Amino acid sequence: MLENLFVGIADWLRSLLGGLGTPVEINEAIVMLVKLVAILVFILINALWLVYMERKVAAYMQARIGPNRVGPKGLLQTTADIGKLISKEIVIPGKADKVVFLLAPVLIFVPTLMVFAVIPFGKNMAAIDMNIGVFYLLAIASLSTLFFWMGGWASNSKYSLIGSMRVVAQMVSYELPLVLGLLGVIMIAGSLKMSDIIAAQEHTWFIFTQPIAFLIYFTAAVAETNRCPFDLVEGESEIIAGPYTEYGGMAFAMFFLAEYANIMVICAMATIMFLGGWHAPFGLDFIPSWVWFFLKMYALIFVVMQLRWTYPRIRVDQLMGFSWKVLVPLALANIFITGIGMKIYQAIGW
Amino acid sequence: MFGQGLIKGLQITWKEFWAKKFTVQYPEEQHPVPERFHGKFVLDVDKCIACGLCANACPNKVITIEKQKVGKKQYMTGYIMNIQYCLFCGLCVESCNKDALHYSKDFNMNQYFYRDIPLVLVKREAPAEPEEEEQPAAKAEARPKAKPQAKAEKPAEPAANSEVAAGKVPGKEGE
Repeated sequence: MLENLFVGIADWLRSLLGGLGTPVEINEAIVMLVKLVAILVFILINALWLVYMERKVAAYMQARIGPNRVGPKGLLQTTADIGKLISKEIVIPGKADKVVFLLAPVLIFVPTLMVFAVIPFGKNMAAIDMNIGVFYLLAIASLSTLFFWMGGWASNSKYSLIGSMRVVAQMVSYELPLVLGLLGVIMIAGSLKMSDIIAAQEHTWFIFTQPIAFLIYFTAAVAETNRCPFDLVEGESEIIAGPYTEYGGMAFAMFFLAEYANIMVICAMATIMFLGGWHAPFGLDFIPSWVWFFLKMYALIFVVMQLRWTYPRIRVDQLMGFSWKVLVPLALANIFITGIGMKIYQAIGW
Repeated sequence: MFGQGLIKGLQITWKEFWAKKFTVQYPEEQHPVPERFHGKFVLDVDKCIACGLCANACPNKVITIEKQKVGKKQYMTGYIMNIQYCLFCGLCVESCNKDALHYSKDFNMNQYFYRDIPLVLVKREAPAEPEEEEQPAAKAEARPKAKPQAKAEKPAEPAANSEVAAGKVPGKEGE
């Protein structure tokens, strides 16, 4: 029952629509729409929750309690914050490019939401199970660079410009180790389809066969979301808030929430590629698959947050050097070794 | 080994995550206040003899004492501290001969209105007649004794404090 909770809801909706006598194509379109809206709502609520979680994690690691006044245990803190930000005036700098300036925070959520359409949250729980799922995800996710750049450029401020230039440099150069890290997994699984990759991990998670690839992917992914220790983009002590400097109110909140949605994307991706997706470890099948997926995802999100509150920010030259001199060669070596290993196993007859 | 420091850092934050939190959620819970804390003043009115040493000791002229003579004794009708000027140095508490003025551990003296800031420790009317502090047996002796003395001082008294002393009960007790 619980296992197929969401699949059951979709089936129920389908049969309900079938009873109305409308054409099957329209029914399917409505079901798909409902799925996508459900994912949208889920992501937005989750982004609010993650802001709260981040503040709690930060507080706990600094021997504080964190937000605890608004709502039970402070759970409504981010809701209150967003309510306040919505009520604020949107200030547009005098020399800003108005259209692009306003468009950037609106569009920043688009790649993130598009990416979530292909993520399988549980058994048969992907809205769309695309056969080039991983490729689609990587291609769309890297689009968000553009919107950071739009925001930074349109603000017509030196801090925004420097920040957005850093975004572009950082995200483009970390895209490479990210993809190369995933390549080892894709070589073993032999597919770009997410459900196939998860199915290939039924017995052994890829984190055990590809540990270096996992580290490379995770490091690059943290850099890709502009999180500490790679948060040069919004290095507060240097360039105020990077591309967000000129934004206020809800426009800023959109960038802020998009950051957390992006963390969710990369952690969901890491779960799918390395932690066996929705597969239950140790044969604990009685817990629904989607619960396992979220447990793994949140464990990774916790690690991302822990990284932020542990490490100091690195320098720009260190950032670039680390990507091009360490991660990329390591990822290439990993692919090379994986290829050799696969050939050896094939020769043995595994 | 490369990356050892990174792991060590993560271990520290992980340990801190489960460590005891230092936050004291103020209105609900409080830090213990130290023994000799300089908080809100408390005056033991029965001990106070209205000598005015504390008012003299105060560097900021915070303390205002209003007193009247009732019978032979000084009777304090008002002890007001303009606490907004107080620096909590403690000279008034030190100077008190009768050990009547104390600090309490209450540090919450903020007020919404400015007029509420002065700390009124005593505000009362002086009795028209000196109170009997002796034993009931001695009462009878004390009374006639005190009366003539009060009478003797009468000429001086009305000039100073006639309003309060006379205002309340002029005709009730015969003079």
